[in-house]
Amino acid sequence: MNVPLKEAVATSKVLVVGSGGIGCEVLKNLALSGFKDIEIIDLDTIDVSNLNRQFLFRKEHVGKPKAVVARESILSYNPDINIKAYHDSITSQDYGLNFFKRFNIVLNALDNRAARNHVNRMCLAADVPLIESGTSGYSGQVELIKKGVTQCYECQPKPPQKTFPGCTIRNTPSEPVHCIVWAKHLFNQLFGEDDPDQDVSPDTEDPEAKIEGQEHTETESGNIKRASTRQWTQEIKYDPAQLFNKFFKNDIEYLLKMENLWKTRKPPVPLTWEQAASHEGDTAEEENNVKSQDMKVWSLSKCTKIFADTVGVLKEELAGKTFLVWDKDDKPAMDFVTACANIRAHIFTISTKSRFEIKSIAGNIIPAIATANAMIAGLVVLHAFRVLLQDYQKCPSIYLRQKSIHSKFVLAADKQIEQANPKCYVCSPQPFVNVFVNTQTMTVKEFETELLKKSLNMVAPDAILDGKGMVVISSEEGETEVNNDKKLNEIGIVDGSILKCDDFLQNYELTVAINHYEPQEKDDPLYKVVANPDELKAKESINGEKNGSEEKKEEESDEDDLMIVNELEDPQEGSSKRRKLNPPEDKDAEDDDLCVVES
Amino acid sequence: MSSPAPKSPEQTDKSKKYDRQLRLWGDHGQNLLENSKVCLINATALGTEILKSLILPGIGSFTIVDGEKVTEEDIGSNFFLESDSIGLSRAQVATQCLLEHNPDVRGDYIDESPEHVMSHTQDFFNKFTVVIATALPEKVLIPLSKYLWESNVPFVVCRSIGFLGYIRLQVKEHTVIEAHPDSENPDLRLLSPWRSLREHLESIDVALLDQKSRSHVPALVILFYYLTKYKELNGGLVPKTRQEKDILRKMIRDSPVADEGSIKLLEENFEEAIRYTNTCLAPPSIPHNVQAILDDDCCKNLTQNSPPFWIMCAALREFVECEETLPIKGSLPDMAADTTSYITLQQLYHRQAELQAEIIYRKASDIARDLGLPMDTITQNEVKMFCKHASELQVIRGSCIADEYERTRLDLSFYLEDPDSLMFYYVILRGLERFISEFNTYPGQFDDQVEPDVLKLKGIIGKLLSEWSCSQVLRDERVHEVCRYGGAEIHSVSAVLGGCAAHEVIKLITHQYKPLDNAFIYDAISSNSATFCL
Repeated sequence: MNVPLKEAVATSKVLVVGSGGIGCEVLKNLALSGFKDIEIIDLDTIDVSNLNRQFLFRKEHVGKPKAVVARESILSYNPDINIKAYHDSITSQDYGLNFFKRFNIVLNALDNRAARNHVNRMCLAADVPLIESGTSGYSGQVELIKKGVTQCYECQPKPPQKTFPGCTIRNTPSEPVHCIVWAKHLFNQLFGEDDPDQDVSPDTEDPEAKIEGQEHTETESGNIKRASTRQWTQEIKYDPAQLFNKFFKNDIEYLLKMENLWKTRKPPVPLTWEQAASHEGDTAEEENNVKSQDMKVWSLSKCTKIFADTVGVLKEELAGKTFLVWDKDDKPAMDFVTACANIRAHIFTISTKSRFEIKSIAGNIIPAIATANAMIAGLVVLHAFRVLLQDYQKCPSIYLRQKSIHSKFVLAADKQIEQANPKCYVCSPQPFVNVFVNTQTMTVKEFETELLKKSLNMVAPDAILDGKGMVVISSEEGETEVNNDKKLNEIGIVDGSILKCDDFLQNYELTVAINHYEPQEKDDPLYKVVANPDELKAKESINGEKNGSEEKKEEESDEDDLMIVNELEDPQEGSSKRRKLNPPEDKDAEDDDLCVVES
Repeated sequence: MSSPAPKSPEQTDKSKKYDRQLRLWGDHGQNLLENSKVCLINATALGTEILKSLILPGIGSFTIVDGEKVTEEDIGSNFFLESDSIGLSRAQVATQCLLEHNPDVRGDYIDESPEHVMSHTQDFFNKFTVVIATALPEKVLIPLSKYLWESNVPFVVCRSIGFLGYIRLQVKEHTVIEAHPDSENPDLRLLSPWRSLREHLESIDVALLDQKSRSHVPALVILFYYLTKYKELNGGLVPKTRQEKDILRKMIRDSPVADEGSIKLLEENFEEAIRYTNTCLAPPSIPHNVQAILDDDCCKNLTQNSPPFWIMCAALREFVECEETLPIKGSLPDMAADTTSYITLQQLYHRQAELQAEIIYRKASDIARDLGLPMDTITQNEVKMFCKHASELQVIRGSCIADEYERTRLDLSFYLEDPDSLMFYYVILRGLERFISEFNTYPGQFDDQVEPDVLKLKGIIGKLLSEWSCSQVLRDERVHEVCRYGGAEIHSVSAVLGGCAAHEVIKLITHQYKPLDNAFIYDAISSNSATFCL
């Protein structure tokens, strides 16, 4: 290393966001490159499944905060380095513009898109260079983001993410993943935090189920009952037989009454507790099992027994708490989902899966290995050297493709750095975006949480209705609460309206043009976000992506064709998941990606 | 719920710890890893980075061979040496530090130089699954490479110097059963169904099914039914061209009978059948690479020393000679259908695959017995796995590093004429190695010697090129650049290279995925890499 670089390294202040797979390796590389002033932030605690690659952690550290332990491990190698650790979320209001401005460079080692978007905006606003990275199994990517020089993280629309309409989950599942999502929702209905978007009972609003000219009547199994599911469950004291009959017999019988649904589909077959417990039919499938229990597909009677057992265990765990949080690594919770998903699959004659496979889908597990992380983290720090010397042109994006049996290029670098998209609604000089919403049915609150926060990734937005100068949404508590339940058109937000939105924390101003829109087809999204009007015609895919309380599957998996493959576009390994997040709402890459679009 | 779940036989701590990687190489890959013995020669920063990425996923054991003592420079670039260990055995300190990272891995060390070990302990190196060497001088590299070549122990040679990295894999013969191809079509054999499948498929008259039953039939049955119809109409020929397949697709699409008054709707399973026409109507064939393996001398001329892979190949060869196809994979993709019909079909495929695997297993056992090998040479599970992946088999035969160094002609002109090729780094590295063996120091290692070293290195490189009869000349600045490094290791370069080398070692140990063939050069200045076959 030459003298200017050595000096730059020794005097630079670096922020590492995330101390997971890539974060650990990056910290080590920084420490061995002569960096003296490092800050590290991670929200998560250490899990056993991290230990196959996150080498700064050991078994005795399980359960402890990652950032804190990572700092200690690095200090034990070199006590002369100044490292500050935060066990916190980077999207918290505590880490504002002034926090970011203190650094010469920010290195992302994250695992989810929401946090990546946020750090992207903070670094643009603070004009601090950011190196973005990620891995997923054998693949990985490193990219420089520097205001005015390169494109930003949000310049290109990310590949569409798989979403599942609510009625598919509730009424007409056709793939194992639909049953798995349903089973996770069932867990939350019975034990988790109440979320009306995660209803598991038949959806009588299903447009396909409606018969022309005939208003449906809401009955006991339908939507009307949903608020009381938990209450009823408590009243029957979590009796497994009664629960079973409600979800696998009565609800299914109710679905069968929605005859339109079954014209071209095979109708489900209601299953009673007694039938299931004594079922012997499909033992054949168990014969071709593999050695490991985890790999075996459980028989229906085994699923039923495990359903009953886990309901009992989870009920005990719930005692004294307000709710449980589903976790793929929690045995009873994972067993419960495996059993319920397979029972539902049986009812709908969908193929059943092993616990191992279901865990992969339900936990949205991304395979992760030490080797790919080591390579990517090495590349990150080598890029950091060039960035500190302001040699930005020599920092093209680099891709790691270790898997392909044909490729001769294990590492491939772009020929040059990518230019910013002039129409980017984040980094262009006057950010502008079109949104398509139903102004007659969407409430102001929904607009704030679904659009501004979830879709546009703002953290604490303010919105002013242009022309009238009226503040319709405010980040100050109490200021605009009266608007919350009003429909958009009731306060004057109609087709053609312009909203000036502003996020103080991100130092981000965005002009939003409102377009009135009503979904036509069953699979149409509830609303759309379109940065460039030309994309409306060209790219159907964007519809799927910018969706409401949607189901996100951001990763690829090498094993299961049910996983959606976004090769390299949004690599995930980095820091760990985010659990409790200040707004925006958690879009945890590992756990929470399976949710639903209401239809 | 954040508390760790209670231990249970279903999910041991180990399978939890390794969960994320089991999803890549499976339990059997993990087993091979856990039974492997890895040797590292020289615990440089690169060496320990490689070993770290092997210890975390859980190799069985490692041995470090290194006669050096820890220096201040080592501490500056190597994370796995403690700052108070200067002057101690580098092998010992690195072994202790590395062992802390996975209690399931065993490790030991030899505090002796590799040449000492080679000359004093007979057969020391051939007991390992893989031998990895970093910063190994030519005079040890050449005899060791010959020795490991003869013993058929894979040898991975790496070097990290300044912004330059190099990995060379030496494998005499490496076989892969699971190559994990990027995409795979379902193996359905609709054009030539075996008897029980044909009888089953023929027993269902799709056209006669009522509305309700139509939606229950697996796509496969539908496709077979209309394929038969198509053949009847076309003199027994199957659709091959796009136009012909369009006709078949139209037959399926037009199949629904209009309900009284209502519109015709094509059921999900019929849509699926249409999709299958794209991928499932190719006649079964034997891929070239597999045919080449079956025609290989190793397959034809077995000996008592033939590994199970070649015995299974010989059995497969007999099977193919008789059946003219590879054994069926036996798995059925998910289809919209009712459980009973789906399971019936699944069982038919599954049973056929079992049956064929059984035949091949019996053939393989007979072959093994005729060779005088013990009964358990080949296991039934091994054969099942082998049959399932019969279309992906790979045999890699590399070249011996010693041959490359002793060869008098090395035709690199093709690469050296390409200004974008990284091959010139190979030439520089070879020059560098000769420099080290002649002068016992890295070029540029002493600040006042940089300029004279540049001249010496240029002289050596010129001589090498003329030895190889290459007419090209290397640009001076490239030689200067390497001399500027003075042999120093940049940690992040070693990190990249270490990850890459460790990954190749995992491929070699697990016999999954195709390894690099056979040299890899990484230029950290341009962030590019290239693979060459030497």
